[in-house]
Amino acid sequence: MAVDTEERPTATASKTDATAQQERRFQRYRIRTGMFAWMMHRLTGVGLVVYLIIHIWGLTALTDPETFNALIAKYHSPIYKVGEFALLVAVAYHAMNGLRIVLIDFLGWSPKQKKLFWTLGAVTAVIILVGGWPSLYALGEWAFGPGSMPTLFL
Amino acid sequence: MAASQTNALNWFLHRITGTFLIFFLITHFWVQHYDHQAASVTHEVVTEKGEMPDYPEEAEEGVEARMGSSAEATPYQVVMQRLADPVYAVLWKGFNILFLVVALHHGFYGLNNVMTDYIRNPMGRLVARALSWTVALGLLILGLYSVITAGW
Ligand code: HEM
Ligand code: HEM
Repeated sequence: MAVDTEERPTATASKTDATAQQERRFQRYRIRTGMFAWMMHRLTGVGLVVYLIIHIWGLTALTDPETFNALIAKYHSPIYKVGEFALLVAVAYHAMNGLRIVLIDFLGWSPKQKKLFWTLGAVTAVIILVGGWPSLYALGEWAFGPGSMPTLFL
Repeated sequence: MAASQTNALNWFLHRITGTFLIFFLITHFWVQHYDHQAASVTHEVVTEKGEMPDYPEEAEEGVEARMGSSAEATPYQVVMQRLADPVYAVLWKGFNILFLVVALHHGFYGLNNVMTDYIRNPMGRLVARALSWTVALGLLILGLYSVITAGW
């Protein structure tokens, strides 16, 4: 489920206009970040199921060399490289947000939730950049000509 | 009572399968995209029909060492370094089968959660559940078949 990432607002005895507004701001923040994180988790989860169905279906090609070669060659076309990158983004997001949910559920990480949220966000960004570099590199080489992209760690 | 117990168990299982999937996916991704010898997908774009991607030196050497010096590093042969090897095949097929089972369970259990949220009608839920698990079972059989017979 969607888990709040806010820190609990401090209890106030008398609510001045300013603190009431403060609380409303917290509430808006919670709905935006928490709801959005949950919706994206759902969306990527369902997307991954769709991919998994196509993937297993396609892998019946493993029984025939010609068909398998054609399948993997197709994975190297520009549009599939874009798809490969999108797939990684979906997997990385779903995995790290899922890990966040599991950690909170099992370890009860509540006071550190916000920190956990942003730490895992940074980890996700690193996974996407490092893991996605082969796809981006391939697309760049194709679009801007051989040698136009830095090889980096490839 | 019984129903709520299985729900709690499934909720727990879903978290466990999710956690396992992190390890499966990291390994899968490494082997398919990063490892110079074993990756089936290279960082190259292929646009011509019938053209095959080029594989790095390590992959060509690996294929020749296993399949003979005349063997070519095509996508199929590159994957067969693992799936047709007398030793590694058992490990990799085992890995793939576990991955398959865990991914299907996690994915289709999750899908059922989503469907239960949007389908209000009990009959509709039952149909959706039966249908989705039938698809999952079909995919399990299909996936088992392809990965077990690969390289025979
Ligand atoms: C990579 C590691 C993964 C982790 C750590 C993970 C974790 C999770 C967790 C904890 C949930 C439960 C969310 C909740 O109860 O609110 C979930 C839901 C879900 N996951 Fe995953 N998951 C992973 C990979 C996958 C994959 C590969 C698929 C697709 C095959 C998938 C499909 C789904 C679906 C459809 C849901 C249901 C979404 C919902 O109820 O809103 N997940 N995941
Ligand atoms: C573009 C990225 C991907 C590529 C190129 C790819 C490629 C492959 C290949 C070539 C195999 C055959 C077995 C082997 O080589 O050991 C395989 C198996 C498998 N892949 Fe992927 N994969 C990708 C992404 C994914 C993702 C995101 C998932 C999870 C949702 C996944 C789930 C599986 C499963 C479960 C198997 C085993 C299938 C079976 O046992 O029949 N793959 N993949």
